[in-house]
Amino acid sequence: MAWFHAIRERLGGMFRGGARDRALAEEIRHHLELETARQIERGHPPERARALARARFGNPEWVSEDTRDERGIPLARGIGNDLRWAIRSLRKQPGFTALALFTLALGIGVTTAAFAVLDTVLLRPLPYAESGRLVVIRERAVDRSVMFPSYPNFADWRERTRSFDGVASWQTFPRSQTVSVGTERLRVVSLGVSRRFFEVLGVRPFLGRTFTDLENALGGPPVVMVSHAFWATQMAGRTPLGSIDLGATSAEVVGVLPPGFEFLGKTELFLPHERGPGTVRNAHNYIVIARLAPNTPLQTAQTEMTVLSQSLLAVHGSATQAVDADVQPLREYLVGSYRTLLAVVFGAAALVLLIACTNLVSAQLARGLTRGRDVAIRTALGAPRFRLVRQLAVESTVLTGGGTILGIALALAVVRTVRLFGSALVPRLGELAVDFRTLAFAALVAVITMGFVGFYPALRLAGGNIIDTLRGVRGPGLVVRTVVWRMLVGFQVAIAVVLVVGSALLIRTLGNIMSADTGLNVRGVATANYIPRDLQPQEFERIRTELAAIPGVTGAALANRLPFAWSSYSAPVRRPGDPGDRDWPALAGFRVVSPEYFGVLEQPILKGRGFTPDDRAVSQPVAIITPGIAEQLWPGEDPIGKQISSNYMFDRWLTVVGVAAEASHWSMARGGQNEIFAPLAQAPQEARFQLTALLRTRGEPRALLPAVRARFRQAAPDLPVQLGILEDVIERSAADRRFAMLALTLFGSVALLLAGVGIYGVMSYTVAVRSQEIGVRMALGATPWAVQAQILRRALFMAAGGVAAGTLAGLFATRYLQSILYGVTRLDPAVFAASGGILLLTALLGAYLPARRSSRIDPLTTIRAD
Amino acid sequence: MTKPEGELLPGTFELLLLKALSLGAMHGWGIAERIERLSAGVFAVQQGAVYPALQRLLNRGLVTAEWRITEKSRRARYYRLTVAGRRHLEAETAWWRRATGGMSRVLRAAEQES
Repeated sequence: MAWFHAIRERLGGMFRGGARDRALAEEIRHHLELETARQIERGHPPERARALARARFGNPEWVSEDTRDERGIPLARGIGNDLRWAIRSLRKQPGFTALALFTLALGIGVTTAAFAVLDTVLLRPLPYAESGRLVVIRERAVDRSVMFPSYPNFADWRERTRSFDGVASWQTFPRSQTVSVGTERLRVVSLGVSRRFFEVLGVRPFLGRTFTDLENALGGPPVVMVSHAFWATQMAGRTPLGSIDLGATSAEVVGVLPPGFEFLGKTELFLPHERGPGTVRNAHNYIVIARLAPNTPLQTAQTEMTVLSQSLLAVHGSATQAVDADVQPLREYLVGSYRTLLAVVFGAAALVLLIACTNLVSAQLARGLTRGRDVAIRTALGAPRFRLVRQLAVESTVLTGGGTILGIALALAVVRTVRLFGSALVPRLGELAVDFRTLAFAALVAVITMGFVGFYPALRLAGGNIIDTLRGVRGPGLVVRTVVWRMLVGFQVAIAVVLVVGSALLIRTLGNIMSADTGLNVRGVATANYIPRDLQPQEFERIRTELAAIPGVTGAALANRLPFAWSSYSAPVRRPGDPGDRDWPALAGFRVVSPEYFGVLEQPILKGRGFTPDDRAVSQPVAIITPGIAEQLWPGEDPIGKQISSNYMFDRWLTVVGVAAEASHWSMARGGQNEIFAPLAQAPQEARFQLTALLRTRGEPRALLPAVRARFRQAAPDLPVQLGILEDVIERSAADRRFAMLALTLFGSVALLLAGVGIYGVMSYTVAVRSQEIGVRMALGATPWAVQAQILRRALFMAAGGVAAGTLAGLFATRYLQSILYGVTRLDPAVFAASGGILLLTALLGAYLPARRSSRIDPLTTIRAD
Repeated sequence: MTKPEGELLPGTFELLLLKALSLGAMHGWGIAERIERLSAGVFAVQQGAVYPALQRLLNRGLVTAEWRITEKSRRARYYRLTVAGRRHLEAETAWWRRATGGMSRVLRAAEQES
């Protein structure tokens, strides 16, 4: 009947596990009571008797574990028991478990989020049909620099090219403008687009139709297309679509774009830009988009465009500044400059994950060491070694699984935050989402992590010499193991050094960018941009005086555009006697300003005079130039009193009355920003189709914006106005760097934290293992300070190795940052020294608690302990 | 490498348990105590080790267990040899006798020759 017993026992083990566990617990409790009683009989005090009974019994946890393992059916117990065992053992060490989960979640979450960003911005195709065939075409100037095309050039390209299935254009940047739907006034983002723009993109309207060629032509009727979101919310999803008020006119809504369609961010209105008068051939206001004909290589299109540009140049001469054209894929145009940046961010995230894994491996090794004896006993008593390995591996799997789930939750939170704040810094981040690809990536990361964190320590542990551990040998075996561990921690330190160096280089880059000399004072200037329509000069002056009277505003000036803005396009400049067709002696940007401009911006007049209210429409036409023009046109001569002209905006001769310092920010070529200033009062109408008031403020300009808006409404109730801060222009120009800096600083901090924890762990263990030795030293008269110093020295020594390795790695790794640094070399010694110092300090902090513990060791207790 | 004292050969522990139980039904602590006493302290295993081993014997039907009340009127789980257990013990004992007898004869002979 033996088989019957066996089956009953095993089945019972499966189905009545809970009751049996309680019974076993009672048995063990009873056993300990009996043993304690016997020890008391032998004359031990109760406290000591309990301890002795416990020592003779062994670890009750392992005993019940092994007993339970003998019950049940092998296959079922393999899955169920190991899982239960893992969860129970993790719950019994909440500190370790929380730290491990936190570390894993951080590593996996950060890497997953970084992948989502990389994937969205760089890897995923643009959300347009056959987007690989979409290209952007721009003009090249005589100095090979790339410029936005002019309308007439675009029109010629559209007509005369063969390599494309369609050529369209949009108006450089989306604009902010005010519209009314019913009685509600709204500020929206609009973009002017050419004929067949949506056809080239391959987008079909959700409702209605796209613009007809007649609508998108000079003198066409006012029409507009709206985004799906605008239609659904602002227009309450109405049909028929009706019309909306654009301020000057009422425009018929002819179509609604499909949901989710985005172009250059969340543009809400699309207007036909070909209704306006086609401007001159060197007004660079458009970007040309084209769809390559099937099976046409980019190179063919490029060659055709080069030939076409040359023939246009032959016909139009200096009327066009385009000597060549540049064709590049649309995706490259939109995100190409972010490739290095995002690769750096992703690499940094992967390093954080690596540190997190290292930390867990060392934590598992540490737990393995303290468990070594238990494991050895159980192995000796018949628990198969394979099962112990499996249990540890299952424990790691449970940890990694939990960490992955938390990590994905973290990635979701990070992705949401990045989408909110990052869409202003990096294009396409508005589309950012955690999708199937991201989850698949997270799963892959989890599997790799599991292999690294789970199986290595388990195998290592089980491979140890059982007999030695059983007999409590604390000889070479243990020393070897902490060497591996200390190498892991040194490795962490090295990675942290690399990340801290990277973040320090970027912090310095941003500092340099924000404090770089721009030739004028950008701090404390509020801006108010408006379209004056057909206002007379007296009207501008009235608005300017009103704004200047706002409390807190110390000066107000007007200009046709912000400093730095649009300086990338230049018009040719002539002296009297220059032929004026192809051979331009200088190129310059034109800026039309009020007399207060140089004073308000603190842009120095180096020679001659600034403008005064006496420079009127009827007085002598005057100009102020930057030193570069003087140098190119009249080298070695005094430019004051000389005459210049241009075929752009000014068709008469201007007399130079002054030289102003050049204004350029960090990303613009220093010494290459030629500008010609002319008085607003003397400027032709077309030069002031929009104006910006620049207000020098006392204190923080942002605080004054509400007052500026209120005053502007009073002064000009029907003009839409857009407010801003001049300094933001510089900040926006460095948005990509800021994104990288924030990411690297975040990762660097996490790396520091984890390295600190790693050092704390290994030093705590060292102190625990060496407590005997330390006790003996203290018994022999070592001072607590000497004991502490020894521990701190060991930590420093370990960290110093990591710092050295990290510095070496940094010398190579910073190569990838080279192209995004400004004003600091990638091998900046101060940055490397400071980063190394920070890590050493972290090591001291991490070792401080264990060191303090070491000096409190009681010599007597530790010597007795064995 | 010297052999540590008190180390058990594989499989011997269960034999010791069966032997201890052949003196009558007993609970876990009593069994551990009997083994220590019978072996005069040579086999110093951790007492907790009896429980997984007893469970293995239960699985093989060599012992049974039931809850009884001790002399001190406390509930305890008593283990008892089954018929199969007694037969197994006898067979194992006979084998051990033969094996150790043969082994010691060989060792004695070796001593005399050297």
